[in-house]
Amino acid sequence: MTRRTILTALVAVLACGWLTVAADAQAPSRLIVQSQTEPPGLDMTATPATATSGIVFYNVQESLVKVDRHGKLVPSLAERWHTADNRNYTFFLKKGVRFHNGREMKAADVKFCFERALNPETKHPYARDYEAIGDIIVKDDYTVTFALKNINANFLQNVARAGASIYPRETVETMKSQPVGTGPFRFEEWVRGDRVVLVKNGDYHVKGLPKLDRVTFRFVTDPNAVLAALKAGDVDASLFGLGPEHVQDLSKDPRFQVIVGDTTNDVILSMNNSRKPYSDVRVRRAMTYGINKGDVLKGAMFGMGKILGTNVDPLNPYYVDMSKAMPYDPERARKLLAEAGYPKGFDTVLKVSPQYDYTVRSGQIIADNLKKIGVNVRIEQIEWGQWLSRVFREADYDLSIIGHAEAWDIKNYANAKYYYRYDSPTFQALFAKSEVTVDDKARREIYVDMQKLLVEDAPAVWLFMHPRLAVVKKGLQGLWKDLPASANDLSEVSWAPAK
Amino acid sequence: MRRYVARRVAALAATLLFVSALVFVVVRVLPGDPAALIMGTEGSREATERLREAMGLNRPLPVQYVDWVARALRGDLGRSIQYDLPVGQLIVSRLPVTLPLALMAAVFMIVTAVPLGLYAATHHRRGGDYLAMIVSQLGISVPQFWSGLLLILLFSVTLGWVRSGGFDGWSAGAWPALRALLLPAVALGVFQAAVLVRATRSAVLDVLREDYVRTARAKGVDERRVVGKHTLRNALIPIVTVAGIQLGQLMAGAIVLESVFALPGLGRLALGAIGARDLPVVQGVALFVASCIVVINFAVDLLYGFLDPRIRYE
Repeated sequence: MTRRTILTALVAVLACGWLTVAADAQAPSRLIVQSQTEPPGLDMTATPATATSGIVFYNVQESLVKVDRHGKLVPSLAERWHTADNRNYTFFLKKGVRFHNGREMKAADVKFCFERALNPETKHPYARDYEAIGDIIVKDDYTVTFALKNINANFLQNVARAGASIYPRETVETMKSQPVGTGPFRFEEWVRGDRVVLVKNGDYHVKGLPKLDRVTFRFVTDPNAVLAALKAGDVDASLFGLGPEHVQDLSKDPRFQVIVGDTTNDVILSMNNSRKPYSDVRVRRAMTYGINKGDVLKGAMFGMGKILGTNVDPLNPYYVDMSKAMPYDPERARKLLAEAGYPKGFDTVLKVSPQYDYTVRSGQIIADNLKKIGVNVRIEQIEWGQWLSRVFREADYDLSIIGHAEAWDIKNYANAKYYYRYDSPTFQALFAKSEVTVDDKARREIYVDMQKLLVEDAPAVWLFMHPRLAVVKKGLQGLWKDLPASANDLSEVSWAPAK
Repeated sequence: MRRYVARRVAALAATLLFVSALVFVVVRVLPGDPAALIMGTEGSREATERLREAMGLNRPLPVQYVDWVARALRGDLGRSIQYDLPVGQLIVSRLPVTLPLALMAAVFMIVTAVPLGLYAATHHRRGGDYLAMIVSQLGISVPQFWSGLLLILLFSVTLGWVRSGGFDGWSAGAWPALRALLLPAVALGVFQAAVLVRATRSAVLDVLREDYVRTARAKGVDERRVVGKHTLRNALIPIVTVAGIQLGQLMAGAIVLESVFALPGLGRLALGAIGARDLPVVQGVALFVASCIVVINFAVDLLYGFLDPRIRYE
């Protein structure tokens, strides 16, 4: 009897131990990410909002080509591509890639997505990026060729954008609320006003990924509420939304790790080039000499970020450090203003949106700097919706500050109707040339020339690169440090095993 | 009574029509274009223009208004630009957060304020009265978002008793849902309770000075009966009036606190919709909240007759 009892107890203990081990091995790994802004829909072909691509791109939907964590173009849904003449690009699709609805992705889907982007009826936000496409030829289920009307050096970059993601045609009508793709995570639910939940795609085409079972993007707008949620352990990571003032505090907390990286977000002081006195290049140069960018970076971002000299960010392969090309020199600024007919300076208005704190803080330092050269800046704070209408759409402004997050956005200086109202035929010609120059060395030279010309013409004052500021719980690994694309790839993210 | 109700219902309809026109005009006069907001700084000018056209925003304002009212009368408040869902459905989906929140705050407000006000009045110019007044002064002075943050700091961050924010829904269980709404309800109720304490105190003090109270006391009626039956019942009219107004304010106050506690309620829906210029949602929520306030006032008016039988509605 006693022996039987001991044996039973032993078996029970062993069973318990085995169950515990098994439970540990199968413990679902979950991540709760705080997100500041709720997306205006989850369809990346309907909105260019970073709040949308920040959740959907790379996680739920993917494109043929991908910008990796180092900013390099790598295969994604296309396992390789080929071009002999830079006019015809043939993509060879990965076989056996399935959409989340179970259907296999084929070349016809690729053709459908790009033709839909080009159709003006669909109101695709990036239709212009694909205008160069003349014909899309499906050779077989896994081979598709894009015949371009003219050479487009940015073609592969554009194919890697969020707007070029591949989705099944049968889900077009519901994509705004239920995106379906080929990504590492399947969309599970969107509780409006609260969260978006993604779950692991067990059928993902990259073996071993994703590492997490479930990701919840929780919308918490108020920065103080974000801090409280992090400290109370209710969220695991804040990938966007915390300012440098919060990060400083959290970096001292042993429970968290702070990630400070590079982004494509250039914060600039825009000047209305079509409006006096900014139509005079001497005034624009005086503004650049009159602003101490080091002070701005220190005051607005607690020194986090990088000072910029032109509108090419450090993650761009053609980046040239121009930050010292026009250093802070108030004496020279005053001289330039006098030459331009403003020996006593002038009054001007700076319109900023308090939704983005750094714009207001930068504005205050800039106003103080410019006062020393006689330029009296009145700061007018306007709500984001008004900013988009009055400043961005109608160019009804003198000065403004905002971060431009889009990669390769030097193209905006070639558009005379853009809100900078910078109209330089020389720059436009250079940019047009860069668009059809495929040779990397030659293209780099054009980009260097464009950057030099921008410094010379000073259509804006490039202040600093807004850093990536993420705060995550200790033990979370695999997150991208830099953000060369407008996405948060969580496929390789995992929790380190407990010690 | 019937005529009175009919008159009030007609006034209610007129008020709502006025509110609808006001909300419609205000929302559209505000600078800020929904299409531009959706496209942000990345979308091209042409794409924004195409979107504006597709959203029907290029039509004349009166045409848009008449169209909206006609649909609203048929129960169709339009479709959200941001969420691509019917506005009515969105409002209904937020009620399980905002209604219990407002209700819990109202219960907190009444349960704390009426006894405290009564206590202060019956202990007029004594220590308890002064203490109640200091506490209520504090409650009035501290902004709701601040008291919300302090509560989070104490009960979530330091003690870890409740979550700092968020709401998983009632399907996750009644107790977790109530726990999630507890702190915001207290934060929301504190200010209103502080106001109601003062209103109760002053109403009760007025009645305590009445001759019939003195008579009741002279007759040797028990003090508890004097306060409970002769005083409180007669003081209820001003208290109910203030409480009725406050119920409406609780709905409005939820806007700030739902942001602080990251709750997916009606207030946050409205706030997000204003920011995103989701015009159908802003209009729908404003109309809904206005309807609630008008109905609450109507109910308070009817309640007068029950509280004081001398009040007639003819």
